[in-house]
Amino acid sequence: MERTWNNKAWFLVLPVLVLVAFSAVVPLMTVVNYSVQDTFGNNQFFWNGVDWYQELLASDRFWESMLRNLIFSAVILAIEVPLGIFIALNMPRSGWGVPVCLVLMALPLLVPWNVVGTIWQVFGRGDIGLLGYYVNALGIDYNYVQDPFDAWVTVIVMDVWHWTSLVVLLCYAGLVSIPDAFYQAAKIDGASRWAIFRYIQLPKMQRVLLIAVLLRFMDSFMIYTEPFVVTGGGPGNSTTFLSIDLVKMALGEFNLGQAAAMSLVYFLIILLLSWAFYTVMTNYDAER
Amino acid sequence: MTVSRRWVMPLVVVLAVYLAATGLLATLVPAPDGARDWTAPLVAGGWMAWTFPTAMFFLTILFILSLMAVWEYASPGGNPRVGLLRFETTRGDRLFVSLLGSAFIHLAWLGLVGPSLWWALALSVVYAVGVFRYV
Repeated sequence: MERTWNNKAWFLVLPVLVLVAFSAVVPLMTVVNYSVQDTFGNNQFFWNGVDWYQELLASDRFWESMLRNLIFSAVILAIEVPLGIFIALNMPRSGWGVPVCLVLMALPLLVPWNVVGTIWQVFGRGDIGLLGYYVNALGIDYNYVQDPFDAWVTVIVMDVWHWTSLVVLLCYAGLVSIPDAFYQAAKIDGASRWAIFRYIQLPKMQRVLLIAVLLRFMDSFMIYTEPFVVTGGGPGNSTTFLSIDLVKMALGEFNLGQAAAMSLVYFLIILLLSWAFYTVMTNYDAER
Repeated sequence: MTVSRRWVMPLVVVLAVYLAATGLLATLVPAPDGARDWTAPLVAGGWMAWTFPTAMFFLTILFILSLMAVWEYASPGGNPRVGLLRFETTRGDRLFVSLLGSAFIHLAWLGLVGPSLWWALALSVVYAVGVFRYV
């Protein structure tokens, strides 16, 4: 069959290209320019070569923030994914409970990130917060402002509260797409609850789970607003993740060159991980 | 189906534009004391802080993308194949893997060896050739 090549379709993509150029390419070019120079303001720049990159790669501060971010992402994935599957499995499949559960699940996702941070900042306070007050009343010394462990627990619980719903909704969408015939066949074979989960539900949820893991990992790796509002990166630097550190460096210390170098390294890591996830997902589709 | 087109003229045009743009950029480099300061800002007081090396970096990326466009024009379809990574890649994918890998090679060189990046560049070229040949 003769294939038709029609390049006029590219003109339809042109508006998006212009938009991306202004929203992404121009800022990216500027960041690259800043990352090899130093400035003291007033648009006066001095060539610095690759010194900012060398300094960044040799700094404990950067690697510690990176490690904190990786631990945070690993912990929230380890909690949110199994918890999301468990809740999705126990949600009703018919009747009035379905819309009620779906609305309840969607509610945390509708709350803006800075509002989530403010809610948990107040909620966790020992003097006026419901959580902080009752945890202290139980005899547990809980103070997320002073204790790094408490700060981590607060940030993780907050993220779990905010984002487990996403995993639940995705898993639920996967579960309701399984035809009844599968369950009937399993019943005839006398399959246990675990066997149904392992050989019917989990394979059918595989794709949505992959999307959930991708979304949650990317989002948690770039997290900024919620922990910044609750802990401000503290106590000390205990909850200073990469994005918080980046903003501190760029705006707090006005160290634009080093912050630009850090942004690019951060961007490359995100790009690599996105590509890896995208490749896994598209190849999984191709295999199916 | 293999479509073969006249690709020499587009290639010459891309090369000519690249060389002309490089020349134009070179004329913008300031020479305060007679000698050109290759790392000085091209536009004094400009907020984007362009310098000759960074402008050449982006111009070269654009040049590579244009070369890929010429390649695609000469041989449409992206030449998809299954290589070393055991999944299908087009030549666009292979360019992406080459550029991303090169960025990490340069970072690793900076962190582990030192600020002279010529060997890192040579290693990146070898890596890119390997990716285009085997991935």
